[in-house]
Amino acid sequence: MSRALNEKPNAEPLPTLGSAGVILNGRYLPPPEDKDGKLWVRTSALVQSDPKRLYEIWRDVENAPLWQEQIERVTRTGETTSHWIMRGSDKEKTLEWDSEILADEPGHRIAWRSVCGDSSNAGEVIFEPSPGNRGTMVTVLQEFRMGKLASAWETIVGRNPKQAVIENVRHFKALAETGEIPRTQGQPHGPRGAVAGVKAAAYGEKIATPLGLNRKAS
Amino acid sequence: MKALCWMGTSKVEVHNVSDPMILNPHDAIIKITRTAICGSDLHLFDGFIPTMEEGDILGHEFMGIVEEVGKDVNNLRRGDRIVVPFTIACGNCEFCKKKIWAACDNTNPNAHLMEAAYGYSGSGLFGYSHMMGGYAGGQAQYVRVPFANVGPLKIESDLPDEKVLFLSDIFPTGYMAAENAQIQENDTVAVWGCGPVGQFAIASAFMFGAARVIAIDRFQERLDLARSLGAITVDYSADDLSVLDALKDLTGGIGPDSCIDAVGLEAHSAQLQGVYDRVKTALMLETDRPSVLRQAIQAVRKGGTVSIPGVYGGLLDKVPFGAAFGKGITMKMGQTNMHNYMKPLLERIEKGQIDPSYIISHRIRLEDAPEMYKVWRDKKERVTKIVIDPWA
Repeated sequence: MSRALNEKPNAEPLPTLGSAGVILNGRYLPPPEDKDGKLWVRTSALVQSDPKRLYEIWRDVENAPLWQEQIERVTRTGETTSHWIMRGSDKEKTLEWDSEILADEPGHRIAWRSVCGDSSNAGEVIFEPSPGNRGTMVTVLQEFRMGKLASAWETIVGRNPKQAVIENVRHFKALAETGEIPRTQGQPHGPRGAVAGVKAAAYGEKIATPLGLNRKAS
Repeated sequence: MKALCWMGTSKVEVHNVSDPMILNPHDAIIKITRTAICGSDLHLFDGFIPTMEEGDILGHEFMGIVEEVGKDVNNLRRGDRIVVPFTIACGNCEFCKKKIWAACDNTNPNAHLMEAAYGYSGSGLFGYSHMMGGYAGGQAQYVRVPFANVGPLKIESDLPDEKVLFLSDIFPTGYMAAENAQIQENDTVAVWGCGPVGQFAIASAFMFGAARVIAIDRFQERLDLARSLGAITVDYSADDLSVLDALKDLTGGIGPDSCIDAVGLEAHSAQLQGVYDRVKTALMLETDRPSVLRQAIQAVRKGGTVSIPGVYGGLLDKVPFGAAFGKGITMKMGQTNMHNYMKPLLERIEKGQIDPSYIISHRIRLEDAPEMYKVWRDKKERVTKIVIDPWA
């Protein structure tokens, strides 16, 4: 059962100019700089699918555990609100927060922010046809406000939050394009050496690869 | 099952490990009937490729019988006999659609490691470091094959394993090297390294219409095999022999139209630059020893092509880029886009145009593999190719 969440000052909507878009008036627009306790990450993927289908996979928030790392459960709590539970790589600690969708343009764009809980984040995803129609460019801009909490988060989660966003977009693309997420966890190996754990952590291999199975298909 | 594991630099051991399981819907489990040791396995054995971990199962050239398939594999059935390509490709991403299968976007679970090193990640490979995916390899009794709906080639004829096994890597790799060399009818082609990939590059160069192929190596058994294919051989270790002069002499002074570097990052060189590269790699100021690449760039004719099937992993020193620019050459390289070549090359084998098993010198048990890695590294016992029966 999820515990009660305390209301606390939290993420505001993304500034209008800092949208996930990468071009403004013909000029490349770099992502915002990290400062004042805010971390920004922008990442994009070229996905061989149409914007409408990709939007629908992303918008189905209860499906997020299938492709987002360490998200154990997402429960819809309203038309635009949901409750998120994330389990740390130690399998014991959890992080929980509520999230609200701020903008919802079917087939094109979703923007959200957390409203209370252990994570203070806001994000936006845009789905647009690539130049020359070589697939859909999925671009995510996400902001984390955690100040000194960033390192505590990293300790629990096992990944820097920026890298986690990059990996989740990679998983999203793999799932959308192939119906599965590549994995090696569970394969055989010989006896591991003394520093295997350190190496596995450095390679990011200790984080469980999301299941990747389509809930509706199975 | 029994599997050959990397246990540190110059150390491989056979261990009993758990059997592989289906982990994803497009997986298959293969009972391996034949597997081989590749020249590129020596780069792992010698510790040149980073992100290896003790206990990693090696091997990326293998074939066998399908034991079990995942729920979304519709093209294979239990009992099918297949050869598996060493590069894993999803079949659906932008790169697979362009048929650059070795650049597949969706098969490397550790893509972030390769992105950090190379900017972007290529496809996952079997048994070839965690940076390349960390997949367990096939020098074992069983292996899990991801995206079995895309890669494996079904063998429906009764050709023996030894004739088709090398479709898993070295025959297509040698063939793509010749294709990358942009050979025109009646060209002269020079090939450095007469190991397995060099052998198939020589054979393929003739298929593309080369009038003369010049093969460079120092081991007599390998030069003998090259001559058996029709190549003119140059023993670079002979006293007072200059490879560059030899290539000029054999081309009327203009140089080969195409040069193929089938050696890669651990080239041996008798010259002063060989010592230079050994010292620099030992001090970790350089990761690769590119003496063949330097020579190939120097040797190729004006406007010619250098094709590089030999593996490079990191930073190279003193590559004569001025010579490359000055002569206006083309350079083509990369992991083999296996899926383009397996079927057409199988047809050539079925028609009797080539019997790839001619390069095999040793047939061994898995238990013999640790000892044979050393023989292979030291080029002893006139070794040219080692094939393993993991059930013997």
